[in-house]
Amino acid sequence: MDLNFTPEEQVFRQQIRAWVAENLPKDISHKVHNSLHLTRDDMQRWARILGKQGWHGYGWPKEFGGPGWSAVQRHLFEEETALAGAPRIVPFGPVMVAPVIMAFGSPEQQKRHLPGIMSGDVWWSQGYSEPGSGSDLASVKCKAERRGDYYLVNGQKTWTTLGQYGEWIFCLVRTSNEGKPQTGISFLLIDMKSPGVSVRPIITLDGGHEVNEVWFDNVEVPADNLVGEENKGWTYAKYLLAHERTGIGEVNRAKRELERLKRVAKTEGLYDDGRFRDQIALLEVDIVALEMLILRVISAAKSGKQTLDVAGLLKIRGSEIQQRYTELMMLAGGPFSIPFIREAMEAGWQGDHFGAAHCAPFAPTYFNFRKTTIYGGSNEVQRNIVAQTVLGS
Amino acid sequence: MDFDFTDDQSSLRDAVARWVEKGFSFERRHAIAKAGGKTRDVYGELAELGLTGLAVPEAHGGMGFGAIEAMVVSEELGRGLVNAPYAQGALIAPLLLSAAPAGVQSTWLPKIADASALVVLAHQERAARYRLDHVETKAVPAGAGWALSGAKSVVPAGDEADAWIVPARLSGAVGDAAGIGLFIVEKGASGATVSGFPTQDGARAAQLGFNATPATLITKDGLPVLEHAVDAGIAALCAEAVGAMDKLVAITVEYMNTRKQFGVVIASFQALRHRIADVKMQLELARSMSYFASLKMGDAPESRRRALAQAKLQLGTSMRYVGQQCIQLHGGIGVTDEYIASHYFKRLTVMEMTFGDSMHQLGEVSARMRDTAGVFA
Repeated sequence: MDLNFTPEEQVFRQQIRAWVAENLPKDISHKVHNSLHLTRDDMQRWARILGKQGWHGYGWPKEFGGPGWSAVQRHLFEEETALAGAPRIVPFGPVMVAPVIMAFGSPEQQKRHLPGIMSGDVWWSQGYSEPGSGSDLASVKCKAERRGDYYLVNGQKTWTTLGQYGEWIFCLVRTSNEGKPQTGISFLLIDMKSPGVSVRPIITLDGGHEVNEVWFDNVEVPADNLVGEENKGWTYAKYLLAHERTGIGEVNRAKRELERLKRVAKTEGLYDDGRFRDQIALLEVDIVALEMLILRVISAAKSGKQTLDVAGLLKIRGSEIQQRYTELMMLAGGPFSIPFIREAMEAGWQGDHFGAAHCAPFAPTYFNFRKTTIYGGSNEVQRNIVAQTVLGS
Repeated sequence: MDFDFTDDQSSLRDAVARWVEKGFSFERRHAIAKAGGKTRDVYGELAELGLTGLAVPEAHGGMGFGAIEAMVVSEELGRGLVNAPYAQGALIAPLLLSAAPAGVQSTWLPKIADASALVVLAHQERAARYRLDHVETKAVPAGAGWALSGAKSVVPAGDEADAWIVPARLSGAVGDAAGIGLFIVEKGASGATVSGFPTQDGARAAQLGFNATPATLITKDGLPVLEHAVDAGIAALCAEAVGAMDKLVAITVEYMNTRKQFGVVIASFQALRHRIADVKMQLELARSMSYFASLKMGDAPESRRRALAQAKLQLGTSMRYVGQQCIQLHGGIGVTDEYIASHYFKRLTVMEMTFGDSMHQLGEVSARMRDTAGVFA
């Protein structure tokens, strides 16, 4: 047992750190470090910078143009980029659909889609949830009927994160009503510029436009855009979920935000208030414990000697921690978290913030982060999954 | 970064597990507890496995192993609910004695290794709570040696020990960090009184009194050594708790899969399924922090102290939740003396109050917090 990274791994970390320091635009990291609004351009600029280096798909194997990094290297990359204030990589392309295309897509699909995902040029969205299909995802109704060499798609997807920027969307669609709900689902890639696709904003409780409804009205999708076999989409969707790795715990962002929380607490004169400081200390222990759990998973992946089936635990704990630090940040702002001046979340805004400018994003971020225990399989669904593993039934 | 165990460490684990399987049934433990918690025989059996020499340097007849081996053994003893004072005699005492003059080491360490002597730390004072610098017991020079006067409380296996390692004040006020000496006092020394009693977890402890009792000096700079040894005790306790919780959860899962109500196994009820998921969470966080505790034992004092306090705080939360919920998930049978689950619960509860409870550790973590965050802060 050894807690330390190997000398080679430390050299790797230093290389990533130096590269990020050189290449991460300061205006972008400033926004991330202060929870200011990131535009589409901010996110895509960073995606393309990574893409140019071949790191937008940093989890990809070499045969598909990725760096072929080990689990440890991927973790170090995630850590260094997060701590430096890089935006979270928009996961739908490089982290979610790309591994499915690699595993189940045709050579043509791989050739057509993977380069645009790696380069950061093509923005992908996720079409899973529907108004009637949240936790019960297998009940999706969005229909795709085979008509010769195309599918006719009708229906609705919802909670499509950043779908307003989407150029392509991967969807779970119903291609059969025979048998169990899971057996009639297919995995379809849809060009969002196709006639009949419309995107409508959903404004969330923080006033932000992050999620959308996506409507399909007689959309003709070439049959070549079917991934793998018809009616096998559920298998691919599960593969995708299994492919979400330790990043699901978001521990590196949590470390960055905990350091920020300490700075904010100092600014607000709270760091030496024992009651508040104890809350920070409790959160710190939660974060160290989560990080150790994640390191155990990475170590297991590295040695291959043991398997640790704890993805559900990482999701539950990671999301609870994210909610806790946003809550403490808001409480640190105290009365100055109350003013709701949306423009104050834009970088460089010079208007009157009625108190403390740095407090402006605290409450909206707290409100927004209620999503973390709901999305990606609600924490209650995760507990079902954990219980299944523990009880074996 | 590597959390795998070596083959030797796995063999060590297997050896302890085999002994528990063959030689330390719940019935035996129950009988020991009923008879007052005397475990010197059990301790002797651990010696036959070579375990009491684990942390003693090879030059003194031990194995000279480190924190990871201690963790492995402690986990298995926890799993087996073994109520012998293993961490006290085999891990804490050798570490305290590492600060002693060579002659004192060569007198005691070989005896510790073969368990012909059980030596335990006697540091608790009535008003100290969990502070290690609160030392009222006084040490004064007496002839070629020293004489101690004062009292120590709740000394683990105190009336079964052959000697105690006693912090006593050489100078300064009660809470001063400086002026604390460590001494070794032999059972039967003049002016020493021992009153043994059973503990909540089926073991034993003692109240000690000293009145100009002859003592041998280990070191005059005792506090850093004492802190180090207590941290080793915390690391061992974390591992023991992980083993105990691991087994308690397994017992509870088995119960949930067999106990039927409303015509079905209770494992089918979602309220209970979510509870066991939360129990599993606390268990894995605890295991992670137990690893952290042992892996940080070699750090510089400040970093080690912070890490061990963090670990004990997590373990405190986990032990309380896992213990309480596993009793709850059992229903009525969980609160009986005849069933094993309640004994795990009581051991987990006593560990919370050993070497600093969660509130104490929170104070430590809070006071020692740095601007950076995480495992490598």
